[in-house]
Amino acid sequence: MKPSVSSLYRAVELQQEIPPLLIGERANTNGSKKFRELLLADDYDACLKVALEQETKGAHVIDLCTAYAGRDELKDLTTLVRMCAQSLKCPVMIDSTTPDCIEACLKIYPGRAIINSVNLEDGGKTLKRVCQAAKKYGAAVVALTIGEKGMAMTADEKLNIAKGIYQIAVNQCGLRPHDLLFDCLTFTVGSGDEKLEDAAIQTLEGIRLVKKELPGCLTVLGLSNISFGLPPKARRILNSVFLHEAVQAGLDAAIVDAAKILPLAKISDDDREVCRDLLFDRRNGQEQKPLMRFIEYFQDIGEETEQKDSEGNKTTEEQMFAKVVEGDKDGLEDLLFILMERFKPIAIINQILVPAMRHVGELFGRGEILLPFVLQSAEVMKLSVKALEPHMDKNEAGSTTSILLATVQGDVHDIGKNLVDIILSNNGYEVHNIGINVPTEMIIEKARELNVDAIGLSGLLVKSAIVMQDSMSQYRNAGINVPILLGGAALTPRFVAENCVPHHSEPVVYCPDAFAGLKAVRELEEGTLTATTFNSGRVPEQMKPGVKDSTVLRNNPVPKPPFLGKKYVEHVDPEKFLSLVNTQALFRGRWGYRRGKMTANEYQELITGTVEPLYEKIVRESLEKNLICPKITYGYFPCYAEGETLYVEADGQQYPFAFPRQSEAPHRCITDYFKTKEEGGDIAGFFVVTIGEKMSEETAMLYAADAYHDYLMLHGFSVEATDALAEYWHGVMRNEMGISGDETGDIAAAVRQGYQGSRYGFGYPACPDLDVHQPLFAFLQPERLGISLTENMQMVPEQTTSAIVVHHPQAKYFAV
Amino acid sequence: MDQENGTGWYICVNCGYVYKPEKGDAMNNISPGVAFEELPDEWVCPMCYATKDLFDPMD
Repeated sequence: MKPSVSSLYRAVELQQEIPPLLIGERANTNGSKKFRELLLADDYDACLKVALEQETKGAHVIDLCTAYAGRDELKDLTTLVRMCAQSLKCPVMIDSTTPDCIEACLKIYPGRAIINSVNLEDGGKTLKRVCQAAKKYGAAVVALTIGEKGMAMTADEKLNIAKGIYQIAVNQCGLRPHDLLFDCLTFTVGSGDEKLEDAAIQTLEGIRLVKKELPGCLTVLGLSNISFGLPPKARRILNSVFLHEAVQAGLDAAIVDAAKILPLAKISDDDREVCRDLLFDRRNGQEQKPLMRFIEYFQDIGEETEQKDSEGNKTTEEQMFAKVVEGDKDGLEDLLFILMERFKPIAIINQILVPAMRHVGELFGRGEILLPFVLQSAEVMKLSVKALEPHMDKNEAGSTTSILLATVQGDVHDIGKNLVDIILSNNGYEVHNIGINVPTEMIIEKARELNVDAIGLSGLLVKSAIVMQDSMSQYRNAGINVPILLGGAALTPRFVAENCVPHHSEPVVYCPDAFAGLKAVRELEEGTLTATTFNSGRVPEQMKPGVKDSTVLRNNPVPKPPFLGKKYVEHVDPEKFLSLVNTQALFRGRWGYRRGKMTANEYQELITGTVEPLYEKIVRESLEKNLICPKITYGYFPCYAEGETLYVEADGQQYPFAFPRQSEAPHRCITDYFKTKEEGGDIAGFFVVTIGEKMSEETAMLYAADAYHDYLMLHGFSVEATDALAEYWHGVMRNEMGISGDETGDIAAAVRQGYQGSRYGFGYPACPDLDVHQPLFAFLQPERLGISLTENMQMVPEQTTSAIVVHHPQAKYFAV
Repeated sequence: MDQENGTGWYICVNCGYVYKPEKGDAMNNISPGVAFEELPDEWVCPMCYATKDLFDPMD
């Protein structure tokens, strides 16, 4: 019987009567953007469709690859293999380098599959394991001619590695020769790299040698690499000619986009000759190199391209640089693969990737690109470095500047610190991100242990600024003689210069954003880093907005709430409050889609073309995945004011709430809006609302998977969704108290506080101190909803917010 | 571009507050008629205290 593979429905001979066997390449996360996006959207049905389409276009076998950072490859691949086993007439090719994954697929596949692939990189350990599995379950195996020294470039090297693989697979594991399909590797002849000018010749000769020296074995090629870097239309012709030549040399199977292979008969003689000249590096006595002739020849037909082909005239280095700048992951691995032929991985990082990220930083600094795009660039950087790392010596990257990052004790906010981590680590620095809520002692210990060159402290809360200030002398006394970079919403240059800088021996630097952090680290390297200074004469102190009127009316009526005490609400339809999401603050602020240098029209296009669809997608997915689980505890309580303390009565007990008072006119304090005991007392509303912890889990997962862009987007959305819930519930409470009047209920009005009363969030300017959470939690008891307090009075999960609801008509925001 | 006859409105990217020159900003003692560009450097968003650089032109 002829060597074959099979599905549940049919057997397919590996050696087709008219070769080659066509293996469809589109159902591959690394090769097809479309397939990858479908998989990332968990749309398995659509993924299956990609496989089915290739069947109708003439593929004999369908390659399936689901490897993608952050995804569960085992789950994805077994799911798709199972679906393909049912629906595809073609046998499948299991494309994975993870033995566990391969075995799991073989176990469930009801026919004879092909494994793609094994090699000799680790000396044969993995090879042996996979071959044993192939033997056990009955599968053919694709073997790449990659040895311990890397990818084989010459025909002889290719043969030698093939022989080594044969020795293990056939002689030791008992596979039959025709169970093996050797891939002699294809490198591009389109890069202009002199070392690769004979790449096609070597590959074709490799095929010939393998067929001759290892009788019975089959050969396969991933075809399209041959033309990488050339314009699409020309690629299609070159690929087809190369395929023809490879088949002549003895090729049995090719991994291709079956729809894009042209029959040789459809290619003119002239076209074929130009292709052959390039493939066989035929100079024909001409001065011009075959590649230049090829490019010139196909220039004219390059115009009607199906995809952007600006890559045509760029060197591979330039293409790589552009990939980072554009945040484009498509074909990244191919490109790196080609670059690695010529450069050491560390050189690729230092000479191409890091300069590209630097350029991205400059563009951001000039306002020419926006934060979401920077994160996409960082993702490309991260993926590239991950792909390069296995090829690097351990000590190769060891000499770089290292930075310790932490969110200070009492603060559980992650996003700012993580953005700094993303930007620094993807600019080539060694970052030790030791998490949130980290005590100073721990930071000191870690800084010593890791011997870092700088420490970065982050914290969103007003209290965190105080924690930072207080810790400066601790670092100095502990002998931590490295600069400290500070970042966080509550910091100002003045605060850092006056309250932090004097207490540390090394420069203390205020960093308003992640790029300022990057700048500081670069200056540190160059020896030019200096402490933040503040010239109070030049920059006046910020204004303190607020109602200037110092008299608060005393004769306002006290509303009658529908009940006294607390209530829990455990089900709120998210649709009810998502319309209150402050999309302006979300898009421009949290997501960073600022207008910058764009014209009004350009910006509008960005918003309607990119940002709004993204928002709708995130809302839809959050609802589908049940990421928003709103829960509320709230109530109305009798109270009275005495100085800066509000005494709240709940469950027969009295709880004092101490609020701060403004140090300057009009010396406002939240208690001013409440009646005193003598005035007859008052009513205060309180609430704690959360959208649950699933959102935190999901964002943490995205961050861990280096999905920086999606991380920032979902996190920003979760914060604004929480605030929308608070806004919504504040409205419900105004209604219940009968003070809502004729409110419009739209978000613009909410921003202006276009309603009676105010909600003062704890931790915000009118009440920066979180200690009031202690009495609040005593009687609202949010613990029952899964909300807890850290030792420093911060609420967990992060997507939780609390407030006191004040009904007084004059109550508006102010800052202490 | 005939965008020049726009409203002169600026939006706070932190909280969504819109500064309208025709209204000024009572919370910061800014009288009506002051263009955003003419606001003092120390001016901050009356709602969330974001600094001037955190404002985007509206149109």
